[in-house]
Amino acid sequence: MKPTPAAPPLSFWALLKAEVHAVFTNQVAVLTMFGGVIFYSFLYPLPYEKQTPLALPIAVVNLDGSAVSRELERMVDATPQVRVVKREYTLADAQADFLAQRIRGYLVIPEHFYRDLRLGRSVTLAYAGDATYFLVYGTLVEGLVAAGGTLAAQTKVERLLMAGEPVALAAEQFAVTDINMKPTFNPTIGYMNYVVPAVFVLILQQTLAMAAGLITGSQKGQHGYWVQNGAARVIWVRALVLVTIYYLLSLYYFGFSFLFHDVYPIGTMGDTLTLLLPFLLTTTFIGIWLGLVAPRREWVSAVVLMSSLPLVFSVGFIWPVEAMPSAIVWLSYVFPSTPGIQGFLSLNQMGADWPQVWPKYAILWGQVLFWGSLCHWQFRKQFSASNPKN
Amino acid sequence: MFSQAWSLLKQDHWLLSFATWVPMLVALTLWWIFAQGTPRQLPVGVVDLSHSHSARTFMQTLQASPTLQLHRVYADATEAKTALVNGDIYAYSVIPSDFERGLLLGLPPRVSTFYNSQYILTGRLISSAVMAAQATFNAEVETLKTLMRGDQTAAGAVSLSVPIQTQVTALFNRNNNYAQFLVSAMVPALWQILMVVITIMVLSTYVRQQGLQAWLKGHPVRALLSALWPFMLLFWLQGLAFLLWFYVGLGWPFHGDFTTLMVAQALTVVASTIMGVLFYFLTLDAAHSMSFAGAFTAPSFAFLGVTFPVSDMVGLAQFWRDLVPVTHYIGVQIDQANYGLSAWASLSPMWVMVGYAVPALVAFWLIKRHLKRQRQPNPTTGGEPDLSAVASPASATGVKL
Repeated sequence: MKPTPAAPPLSFWALLKAEVHAVFTNQVAVLTMFGGVIFYSFLYPLPYEKQTPLALPIAVVNLDGSAVSRELERMVDATPQVRVVKREYTLADAQADFLAQRIRGYLVIPEHFYRDLRLGRSVTLAYAGDATYFLVYGTLVEGLVAAGGTLAAQTKVERLLMAGEPVALAAEQFAVTDINMKPTFNPTIGYMNYVVPAVFVLILQQTLAMAAGLITGSQKGQHGYWVQNGAARVIWVRALVLVTIYYLLSLYYFGFSFLFHDVYPIGTMGDTLTLLLPFLLTTTFIGIWLGLVAPRREWVSAVVLMSSLPLVFSVGFIWPVEAMPSAIVWLSYVFPSTPGIQGFLSLNQMGADWPQVWPKYAILWGQVLFWGSLCHWQFRKQFSASNPKN
Repeated sequence: MFSQAWSLLKQDHWLLSFATWVPMLVALTLWWIFAQGTPRQLPVGVVDLSHSHSARTFMQTLQASPTLQLHRVYADATEAKTALVNGDIYAYSVIPSDFERGLLLGLPPRVSTFYNSQYILTGRLISSAVMAAQATFNAEVETLKTLMRGDQTAAGAVSLSVPIQTQVTALFNRNNNYAQFLVSAMVPALWQILMVVITIMVLSTYVRQQGLQAWLKGHPVRALLSALWPFMLLFWLQGLAFLLWFYVGLGWPFHGDFTTLMVAQALTVVASTIMGVLFYFLTLDAAHSMSFAGAFTAPSFAFLGVTFPVSDMVGLAQFWRDLVPVTHYIGVQIDQANYGLSAWASLSPMWVMVGYAVPALVAFWLIKRHLKRQRQPNPTTGGEPDLSAVASPASATGVKL
């Protein structure tokens, strides 16, 4: 078949214009980029609106019935984490409530609790919580242990007073060392601060990869400026257009969206923008490559969708990298999400200086090189068949 | 009918891969990430300003915790903070300079532990491990002190220093196995994505090969069903496969009834397929529908309520959650695996899934409309829908050799 009479390569501006046109007339790509990014920015954080579960319903099985045990019940109820909704007389009743999902856990105050406490015997409080849901379980135990701890402290002070120690000293001596836990970087331990800064980076990556793939996939099997202008030029101009759009979308995320969800990035704007460059470039190259290898453009979306869960869980912000097989850790560094999310979290949530983020930055540039070459090779292979040199 | 589905799979290697080894590979990867079950030996640091014997005992107590590993002893807090930001350690405890003196004089020294709460799950693990280690240290020191006074027996000394002991029972996940907790929810979420994706791909292949008119004119529902049911059976078998993998292969505790779960899965398959059909006929373009499918299914894991309890989600989140088929399923899976609830008690909340009749009806109406539109004048070539004409790669004026 005769190719169209050798069209001269376009000038840079003409090529850029053609590319911008191709991007903005591609409905699916536009929908994915703008629609996707804005839709997710509201949908994804929705479950975590309340930041941390509080006032979980529990039951108390008080087998003692003394004033002190009722005091303990009140202390438990007073902790923010749990709320006593039921008082049961037997363990079996509490277990039945639990199975009916009326309560998430229970506290058992043993018989002779008060007497044993008075006699100076060590007594045991039993807590049970549903460990199927870890956040619920952690919160529950935290609340119950806190209440038990307060009572234990009171008891100790009381005993010391009875032994004739002065009040001030007794109050101080209830512990040998003072435990002072300081949550750092996310002082409220809120879920929003945990999820939003990390997952939003992944959303940027996934939607950009999809958009780049969809645009490339839409042009496959057809003739146009992408055939006559050399793989490298087309790829770079495409990257220029998409990266520019994504800089704007990133500003929306790191700026408006974070503040909207009460997440305050503490890194400097310059550092964030610098780190974004290789991140967005790599992602674009992966997208273009996917668009080239996928038989039809919809497969690009399918691949990206299937990859989200493994990508997000191999980053290490949910599950520590120390607990992952090293093969997974190495493999995850092939994709921009791992160094990207780690880098942005360090910069914006933990207040890292640039030298501390530099290794991630270097890895991202390494990926630019790797995916860029792969993309270039694939592009030439794909379009050389329909572009016989003459 | 099977032969039709089979020939479809044979022609399209990508579809065949997505129906078989790709989901298996992704599910295995997910499991492999969490295979350790519980994180152990997480690196932490200590800033030792005391340099005393007691400080060393304290560090040994930290090191003794299976969750913690004393990575390094830092000279000052700045150095430790840098390590925390770098991710070398997840927490550091500061032992004050008057540590030993305070212990001897009965003036409790304050040990501050800074832990990385940006990583909530890891942070919580570390925080409770450090607290437990410090409580152990306290009890040991105090018991020793009481014993040295000489007026107590060993048991009496223990009860004096620890008047109230606590015994915490984790119901249903006794050894806090996170693999079981997270993977058993992730895989159904993945399954959901896969079902919607494959449904869209199958529909688009039929339309591409036969044309909408030729395929669906006459008896659209029958034609749709005969195209989709082999795949629905496949989805159902995939569901069964991951159940067998979890509860037989990996031996995760299971107290319920497989049949109940298979019924719940069948309902989920039907609902997910309906959503796939709806997305496809919204635009008649596979790429468009995939974007909708992505928006709909990709965040489902967050909405499952496994990591963050449903009862603490705001109304709008609960509403969105109710739209996603797999959220109705996950409750049954947890009920069956952990609580061994009766089939009736466990399945009855699923009755709300009759609501998926609405998207089914909408899809039916959309099909009718597309059929009618294409019969009108201005027929695009080969049943190509007008909406996707902008950038459709399929039968456009491609240069082919």
